Amino acid sequence: MEHGIVLKPEVLGYFKNLPITNTLLVSWVAMIILTITSILATLKLKAVPSKLQNFWEMIIEFAYQTVEDLAGSKRAKVFFPIVMTFFLFIITANWMGLLPGFGTITFNHKPLLRSINSDLNMTLSLALISATLTHIFAIKYLGFANYLKRWFSLTLFPVFIFVGFLEIISEITKIVSLSFRLFGNIFAGEVVLSTVSSIFAFVIPLPFYFLEIIVGFVQAAVFMMLTLVFMVILSEKHSSEH
Amino acid sequence: MDILNQFGINPILLAAQVVNFLILLFILKKFLYGPILKLLNERKKRIEDSLKNAEEIERKLLLTEEEKEKILAKTALEAQKLMDETKKEIEIMKEEGKAQAEQLASQIIKKGEETARAEMERSRQELMSHMAEIVGLGIERVTGKAFRGKGQKEVIEKEVKNLS
Repeated sequence: MEHGIVLKPEVLGYFKNLPITNTLLVSWVAMIILTITSILATLKLKAVPSKLQNFWEMIIEFAYQTVEDLAGSKRAKVFFPIVMTFFLFIITANWMGLLPGFGTITFNHKPLLRSINSDLNMTLSLALISATLTHIFAIKYLGFANYLKRWFSLTLFPVFIFVGFLEIISEITKIVSLSFRLFGNIFAGEVVLSTVSSIFAFVIPLPFYFLEIIVGFVQAAVFMMLTLVFMVILSEKHSSEH
Repeated sequence: MDILNQFGINPILLAAQVVNFLILLFILKKFLYGPILKLLNERKKRIEDSLKNAEEIERKLLLTEEEKEKILAKTALEAQKLMDETKKEIEIMKEEGKAQAEQLASQIIKKGEETARAEMERSRQELMSHMAEIVGLGIERVTGKAFRGKGQKEVIEKEVKNLS
């Protein structure tokens, strides 16, 4: 098979210093799709919802309920937009990557479109945003002193110092696991699909496409829920000092 | 970092994606979550209000029903009382009527009796005067003398009275 699977996203061109990769291009498309559908849905809000408004209402109501159950109504207001945006962006990206044309349409002998999350740049940036916001919220809800206490125990008992050290490492691990989980799943999906399609392009890839639809949803949900849970845990009063 | 290079990590791309995400976050917050959550809250409040209203209405209905029952019971009681009173009055009126009728009857009887007695007296008087005349005529026949004048009649009447 000639078009080998590469880890790096293909650079289509440069805008000043910014390399326009195919994944960046697709993420702009995803943003535009989300923006247009949401504006269309809420342009004329009605008490009795019509199709598109009903669709968004259903999703948002369910998600908000979930966030509220986990975070409580006060923090849910702050957390909800962020985790929901993660979910919507990731699921749109994942499902868009399954559309025909991805990887097959070429531009200067490079694929013009590529599933966003099969580029580690994208998933790593999402994970970094998730981690940064988590820590910002922790400081906001706990205060800076309480926030530091989590990592640097004031008691000189060595075990606690070591635990604090482990906690710092676990925070770094979170970023790595969040980004690589999403990247790995989607990239593997792409590889499987292109391999199966190159073996026999008709009918046989269908079950794999179906599987990828589920994976796309599950990964989006996992990213959203993990971010939410990290935010909730870190912004909660530490209970070990009772 | 060789591994990062292998995966094609580029700080500029990372930054671009972060900016993308923040823009998307802002747009969705403004155009999707804000309006729809507001709408959902409003709808929830409206449904709650409606439910509360429905409860209120039901409560009022129940109250009205009770009031109705009470009024009906009271009315029935009053009607019963009124009926009893009327019955009693009718009874009294009957009694009174009876007494009055009896009185009237006895009065009529008395009057009748009196009339009869007066009639009898009158007939007797008349009879007597007739008799006196007849007796006078008889005496006239027997004695052949006319027994006339003022004194004649008086004498005869006296005699007749004595006779009787």
